[in-house]
Amino acid sequence: MPLVDPVTMSSTSIIKSVPDQPQSQSKSKDGAAPAITLQPIYTKQTALAQSTRHAFPALLAVLFIVRFNSLVEDPVSIMATSLPLVAILQMGYVLICLPVAGSHHPSGRTAAAARKPRPGEKKKFAGGDGSEAKSLPAALLSLILTTLITPFLFVAMVLFGAPMLTHSSHTFLCAAHLALLALFPLFFARGVDAAAWAAVGSFQAPFDETFGGLVGGLVGAWLGAVPIPLDWDREWQKWPVTILCGLYAGYLVGRAIGGSLAFGTKF
Amino acid sequence: MVSPPPPPPSKSKKTPSPSSPPDYKAISAQWAAAKRAKILDDEIREQDEERTSVLARQREALEAARKKSYETRWLWTVGVWVWMLCIHVVGIAYFTSGFLLTRLVLEDKSTCNAPPSLNSSSASIDILPVWEGKGTVDGGCWHPRTFDRAVVLVIDALRYDFTVPVEDNAKFHNAFPFMYDTALQSPHNAFLRPFIADPPTSTLQRIKGLTTGTLPTFVDLGSSFSGTAIEEDNLLMQFRDAGKRIVQLGDDTWQSLFPGYFELNMSKPYDSFNVWDLHTVDNGVIEHIFPLMEKKNDWDLLIGHCLGVDHAGHRYGPEHYKMTEKLRQMDTFIRDLAATVDDKTLLVVMGDHGMDGKGDHGGESDDEIEAALWMYSPSPVFGRTKPEFATPPATAKTRPVNQIDLVPTLALLLGIPIPYNNLGRPIEEAFSGIAGNAWDNLAAAVRTTTAGIERYQASYFTARGIAQPSTPGSPADLWSQAEALLASGVGGKKRDWATVYSAFAAYQEENLKRCKSLWASFDIRSMITGIAIMALGVATLLVYISMSSDDDELAVEDSELDRAEKNLQMHGVTAEGDRSASSGLHRRMVSAAIVGAVPVFLGGLLQSLVSGVGDWYRGAGFAALTSIAAVMVTMYDTRESPLLSAVPRTLWGWMAVVFTVSQSVGFASNSYTIWEDSILLFFITTFGFVTALSALRLPNLAERYLSIYHSVLFVLLGRLASFSKLCREEQMPYCTSTYYASATSSTSAPWQLVIPFLVFLILPSIVKAYLTPTRSYEGLAPNWIGYVFRTGLFLSAAYWLLDAANNGNWISGLPENMLKNISVYTAQMVLGLALVAGTTAFVWAPPCVSIVTSALKSGKGAQVVVLGHANAHGARYLLLPLNIMGACFLLSKPMGGGALGVMVWQILSLVEILDLNDLTTTAIGPVMLAVLGSFHFFKTGHQAVLSSIQWDSAFIPLFTLRYPWSPLVVALNTFAGQILATAAIPLVVLWKVNPARKGVLDRVARALGMYVAYFAVESLATMAWAGHLRRHLMLYRVFMPRFMTAAVVLVLVDVVGILVTLAGVRVNTLAISEVFGWAE
Repeated sequence: MPLVDPVTMSSTSIIKSVPDQPQSQSKSKDGAAPAITLQPIYTKQTALAQSTRHAFPALLAVLFIVRFNSLVEDPVSIMATSLPLVAILQMGYVLICLPVAGSHHPSGRTAAAARKPRPGEKKKFAGGDGSEAKSLPAALLSLILTTLITPFLFVAMVLFGAPMLTHSSHTFLCAAHLALLALFPLFFARGVDAAAWAAVGSFQAPFDETFGGLVGGLVGAWLGAVPIPLDWDREWQKWPVTILCGLYAGYLVGRAIGGSLAFGTKF
Repeated sequence: MVSPPPPPPSKSKKTPSPSSPPDYKAISAQWAAAKRAKILDDEIREQDEERTSVLARQREALEAARKKSYETRWLWTVGVWVWMLCIHVVGIAYFTSGFLLTRLVLEDKSTCNAPPSLNSSSASIDILPVWEGKGTVDGGCWHPRTFDRAVVLVIDALRYDFTVPVEDNAKFHNAFPFMYDTALQSPHNAFLRPFIADPPTSTLQRIKGLTTGTLPTFVDLGSSFSGTAIEEDNLLMQFRDAGKRIVQLGDDTWQSLFPGYFELNMSKPYDSFNVWDLHTVDNGVIEHIFPLMEKKNDWDLLIGHCLGVDHAGHRYGPEHYKMTEKLRQMDTFIRDLAATVDDKTLLVVMGDHGMDGKGDHGGESDDEIEAALWMYSPSPVFGRTKPEFATPPATAKTRPVNQIDLVPTLALLLGIPIPYNNLGRPIEEAFSGIAGNAWDNLAAAVRTTTAGIERYQASYFTARGIAQPSTPGSPADLWSQAEALLASGVGGKKRDWATVYSAFAAYQEENLKRCKSLWASFDIRSMITGIAIMALGVATLLVYISMSSDDDELAVEDSELDRAEKNLQMHGVTAEGDRSASSGLHRRMVSAAIVGAVPVFLGGLLQSLVSGVGDWYRGAGFAALTSIAAVMVTMYDTRESPLLSAVPRTLWGWMAVVFTVSQSVGFASNSYTIWEDSILLFFITTFGFVTALSALRLPNLAERYLSIYHSVLFVLLGRLASFSKLCREEQMPYCTSTYYASATSSTSAPWQLVIPFLVFLILPSIVKAYLTPTRSYEGLAPNWIGYVFRTGLFLSAAYWLLDAANNGNWISGLPENMLKNISVYTAQMVLGLALVAGTTAFVWAPPCVSIVTSALKSGKGAQVVVLGHANAHGARYLLLPLNIMGACFLLSKPMGGGALGVMVWQILSLVEILDLNDLTTTAIGPVMLAVLGSFHFFKTGHQAVLSSIQWDSAFIPLFTLRYPWSPLVVALNTFAGQILATAAIPLVVLWKVNPARKGVLDRVARALGMYVAYFAVESLATMAWAGHLRRHLMLYRVFMPRFMTAAVVLVLVDVVGILVTLAGVRVNTLAISEVFGWAE
């Protein structure tokens, strides 16, 4: 029940009476949002990071394809056993390729344009070097956050219509994969910066590998529900195989596009 | 971008100050308005200066002019929607006329002395030796007569598994063992077989099939409530023409189908549609049949039709002790009846159709078409061609007979000619002799019958003017093969009669198959015309929606401008033309539609008069097309590339399009049609999540959290409602019904009775909580919502408690019908409260505001505080959907009532979300309402199948069937979700809108357009898919019912949109403007 009554109303009236022109409102809104200042996450420019950046998605894809048949056969155990593998891959990816949260000092922002293309200039990541030591604890912390967020994703899936009383381990493991793929890199790269997360959550963050992966993963998982009702009687239509397929495909595509074509752009 | 909603201050405080005259005028206007509304003391008025009264008069004149202009504009808007309704009706009617099955009815009759085999090439061959009285009714017209008379007893909805032993404890199993036992113990006296009905499985259609022997057509289904006489050749006609006397007891459908056929003094028809009454019809049949059995010479055919089992199914579902009682009663009845039958009398007991898991029927699921057939004679007559056939089949899947097979069987056994249009073949058991090897007799019977079929086919093709195909494997080919086989044995050679029998039987089977597919012959041209009209109608709607959006700029609120304009108008300078461009648009559209339609329609009328063909309605289709063209041209005038502007430009617009279009595309697949309810939940959740995330963009923290809160609530409520499920057969086994006590019941479980009481306790408080933030719980609202609405909810909850007590006999020792009487009067009271008193209150209610005046400390002037000013439009309008919800709440079962309660809550959350995120002018609001309405159609215990219609709801406020109330009540029950959603559309626009807002009517009309567009697209898509997939296996199970649902919903939404939504907005605006002055 909305118990926020009078407070809200008064505040509503204040806020809404501010913009007179309908045209200017969207601008003023954007201006007010903290998201405008958010920078995309640049992957590290080391050779190792660049090769890892391309190799690990391929590894993920291979892992998924190789285990697909057994996944269809026994989703729960395959999802459970592949979870640590995916965790290790993602862990390696964030440690090698992504700057840890906080290394991204606001001062570096001005140099953003110059910093990107030249491979030799990676040393400019001064903060990055200093934060190497912080990386592992940050990754572990992100892993904990990922674990903590999984129950919420589980609830979200149930709200979308996943079975509530049955198949809960299916749904939960699927939620864990979603968290590990789409959210874990973001936790690592964005930390617990509320403003950054508000921008990410409202899809105002600029595209990069992490955000692209999130959008791709969510859209993929959403589209993954499409084939479920079809009466094709295929084994792979069982819960949650299609969701997982959509998630992996969407994540990999989103990450690839976010890191390349769409890099830095916004919705 | 859209214009922002106006500043909605919860309190508008103004202090008059003499230094600024324009301000003073406006304030005094407001002040005067406040006085009119709240009946302030006359003293203040007297103190007013003379100047004020002059101003007041001018103002009144202006107000009157504005009111008049508003009413005119309202009429034009309604005109546009009436036109839209006409377009939809014509489109649907056109498509339907080409889509629903049509069969040419031949007038020919069979005659006793002219057996059809005379015409065939092997006419000279007689399989059977000439019998005594051949060619006469007494001896047997086309086959030796076996029985003198027959008792045909129809036990409505007697499903096959009710009659055979099944090893479980279901209440509907093993309660009716007599027929099975006799068939097992004395196979020569009785047999029991599954009896497969041709859909649609409604009683009227079944009686037609069981007497004419031909296939039903879907068109006839509509007349199920008022059966019309059968003109075709049929068993009863043959009996009557042979001078036999027919007596009928029970279901009065027979009387309307066969008027004047029955012996008046002996027949006892009973009303058939009172499904609440399990016993009157059955007891009447039982009471009157036994005396008739004593007087066997007074009649030749006795037809009894018991309805108790069917009614028990409709009312309680099979899994109920009343069903057990009913089946036991039937068991005893048949046992007693069989004992009174003599050697020359045939007793036939059968079900005309089955029932689905909940006891309903009408469609073509297995449970609905599988009835039972039992024939009995004290003299040994029946045989089995194979020893293993002696045991009646364990399930209806083995050895079923078609219901039309009864027609030739009865005709030949009783010696009358087989009706001309018959397509069935004699049932083996009745002609194979006691030993089961009388193949010659069987061959003779089947040959006579098939010769009749062949004769019918020949005249049918002649009548249609087409040649009969004779490719190998075609019926014609099979027929000549069978004839050749018969002829080959001429000359003393002993024929293999079994082979001859199979050859003719094969012909009948193939022919029946062909007929079934042939009579699904569609009139493609009409179908395409219908689809074209609908598609163009959708295009017009889209242009209309996108067009009015530009006019929003006119509605930009600028109080200064308005004041200036008011001043100008007050001083005699009238602003020329309409204040809103779109009212001009409405007028132009209506004029164009009339100009486009009338000449063509009249031309069509004239042409049909001249040519005398009588197809005057053909003109309507062309008139629809030309009027759409005219309207399109008119709209094109005012704007460039109108269709392009319909393309959405925002995420929300795209969401609305995706929700609408993806579902409509999905209707091409039976899976997506079957799982529509889950898909709708998916969309609702998607919307909630996107708005929750989007709320993160709101700069104001309180608004942000409030918006997230409402989004999450919206999603949670949707998921909560999704626990109310009524599964359709195709969803099995992945779905568990929760709507009723069990999957095989149509009564509520005791715990479900608590749900309405919870709604009664919680819902009014929730509504209050949505009104208090804007201080809108004022005026009539506290009394109406807090007491009257709550009382209505309580009485509805009490109704369902009484109903359950009545059904379950919880209180013994009460006078009979006492509980039923009380509950019906309670129901009538609720409906009176919600609809009659509710409408009156809605029309007369002042705005939900409270005006507080207090003197200023300075002593000069007063302070006027209008509580509820910010949501004056929305809060008052909310009363209307609440009243409608009150009526629907009563008419829905307890679980459905809970779903409707959730729906109201969701609607309130939705409008809050839309308001907070500034989405009130986007298409997503109306589309989400449409999604909600469709979702709750499923959650109130319905599916897009005929059998899910809760016919018993007609008897909630009534004792007997009464027109037009009963169909209205069933419609309110069935489409409660969509009706409530349609009534709630204005909330999208009006919520948190203060009286100064202009262009409210145009915005509502536009929102209605977006809302209707959702259903129009759905209707168009289901129409197109049903037409495209017309040969699909699932056509009648999935696609056609979905199309029919979509078509009915579209027309209903149009009608409710005009009668409730637009009328409600008019009433609301009048009431608001009376008090606050005309902003429009």
